[in-house]
Amino acid sequence: MANKLLKKENIGKLIEALNNEGSVFVAPTNPTSIPPLKKGDTGGFVVYAPVAKAEEIMFDYIIPRNSFKEFLFPQTEPIAAFTIGKEGVDMKGVEVNPKETVIFGSRPCDAASVASLRAVFNWDFKDEFYNRREDKAVVMTVACTKADDSCFCTTVNLTPDTPNGSDILLRETTDGYYAVEAITDKGKKFIERFANIFSSKPQAPSLQPIADVKPIAGIDVKKIKEWLKDTKHYENPLWQELARKCIGCGACTFACPTCHCFDIVDEGSAYEGERIKNWDACQFEFFTLHTSGYNPRDTQYKRWRNRFMCKFNFYPSKFSSRGCVGCGRCIRVCPVRLDITEVMEEISKL
Amino acid sequence: MDNIYLPYLATIEDIYEEAPDVRTFKLVFKDEKVRETFSFKTGQFGLYSVFGAGESTFCIASSPTHRGYIQCTFRKSGRVTGGLSDLGIGDTMGFRGPYGNWFPIDEWKGKNLVFIAGGIGLPPVRSVIWNCLDRRKDFGDITIVYGAKSVADLVYKNELSHWSEMSDIKLVQTVDPGGETPDWKGKIGFVPTVLEQATPSPKDAIAITCGPPIMIKFVLQALNKLGFSDEQVYTTLENKMKCGVGKCGRCNVGDIYICKEGPVYTAAEVKRMYNDF
Repeated sequence: MANKLLKKENIGKLIEALNNEGSVFVAPTNPTSIPPLKKGDTGGFVVYAPVAKAEEIMFDYIIPRNSFKEFLFPQTEPIAAFTIGKEGVDMKGVEVNPKETVIFGSRPCDAASVASLRAVFNWDFKDEFYNRREDKAVVMTVACTKADDSCFCTTVNLTPDTPNGSDILLRETTDGYYAVEAITDKGKKFIERFANIFSSKPQAPSLQPIADVKPIAGIDVKKIKEWLKDTKHYENPLWQELARKCIGCGACTFACPTCHCFDIVDEGSAYEGERIKNWDACQFEFFTLHTSGYNPRDTQYKRWRNRFMCKFNFYPSKFSSRGCVGCGRCIRVCPVRLDITEVMEEISKL
Repeated sequence: MDNIYLPYLATIEDIYEEAPDVRTFKLVFKDEKVRETFSFKTGQFGLYSVFGAGESTFCIASSPTHRGYIQCTFRKSGRVTGGLSDLGIGDTMGFRGPYGNWFPIDEWKGKNLVFIAGGIGLPPVRSVIWNCLDRRKDFGDITIVYGAKSVADLVYKNELSHWSEMSDIKLVQTVDPGGETPDWKGKIGFVPTVLEQATPSPKDAIAITCGPPIMIKFVLQALNKLGFSDEQVYTTLENKMKCGVGKCGRCNVGDIYICKEGPVYTAAEVKRMYNDF
């Protein structure tokens, strides 16, 4: 298995074969055809989206603007349907039978977030909407050969070629191939299924060097967790100071691959409609607002504090998984440049 | 496919007007099998839904000893409770649950019980009260301190008058200053003050309290003054919830998901939590 290769030119064949079987092929692409702002800057305009042919794929990218969580946990998803008529009122659950979804060109950080989503959707109660989608997803990660200033995977103990969460890990070679490594059984079966597309090569491939992402020197994730675990630090005035500039737009949560919060609402007419799960964000004032008007997180710093705590304390302690994979999206999308790593540094100093 | 978000269908069999904009629904599950097998423990909650308006979280206000139906009490104030208010007897609504933990009443055998509730905080406490009254011999003295903004705002007026006539219950009712009527015979004052004046003994006692967060805060102080330790005091933390099953991410108090690990806690447990409520 170690010597399997995937020729970049053959990806079109893979897409065709999958599309013929009714599968969805998701890859980094630029669906809007917006040209980059400056030459060589492509990262900002790349998104994970379904593609129909290889020409749509952007191969030169750092990280897509969205995470691929929307293919496992859609931004909006009907969970039940209701009818209100003369014969009475009824509600039936929605069945999901997702198509196989291949996520090509995932980044290792995004792949690492899958275990975190799986954990929250499965502790005790099992959310089959999530599970069925994740079961049908094949994560084909491409190890990073480039990074930008916002990338900080190594600071949270991942690497630009970490295999966690990937079914298949691809490493780019210097001659237009990917060196293929099956990480899971699912990945192994996938490679076997398309044996004609994945070629064998006797000699060891010459790999492109992996991106050099240096851990941020002043950050100690373990120390942060310990500091957060002490409930008296919850009242530290530092929180107000650090989160002061947050405007509560919630962009960080929508861009984040591990943020999983959602709302449940009914939509429809007086006669029929659907009950829908929608992404929501702990950064919004209404998120925790009681009917009485009381709000336990009534100011923005409390909401920001909650998100930070969730990432670096609740997720690791409660779900034994990562709340942060260091993808850096929250830094890139933040309109006020509230850099989570700066807060991590501040807390590491304490 | 297993769908953890799909409610049972229930018929509203009866409606009781409790106070201005406060109603109690008696709900009977449509599915015979659910009707026969459904059980819960006192203190657990559910998600009640009006199709088209959405879901809201309330406790189950009836006692688990009363089989065949459940009750919920709500105040009309938002979209869902507004939708619930538009429903009448015979209409269909949804219920998911029971969820969460419960009051450990089996551990309270032989204890004196002090129930303290404010306003719309009585429904969860009422479930425990009836549960304990249905096994009255298991417990010692029972004291109930209940207050509301005004006489009109007191909920379960029939039951209050029933409890006031029972010789083995000490019921203290109060309304906030200004909320009394000319013929009001109860106390006038805030619940924590009235509780202190009632001087329930902490000896072999358990206190159970629910009400607005500010009331709970001062009730805990009053109980401490009376000599109750934090381990003797139970409360139910009802944060906003959407899923009820530990996924949607909003009911957490620090690292504690109220919907899964709560909503029932001792005051000692509450004091160990992050100050996030």
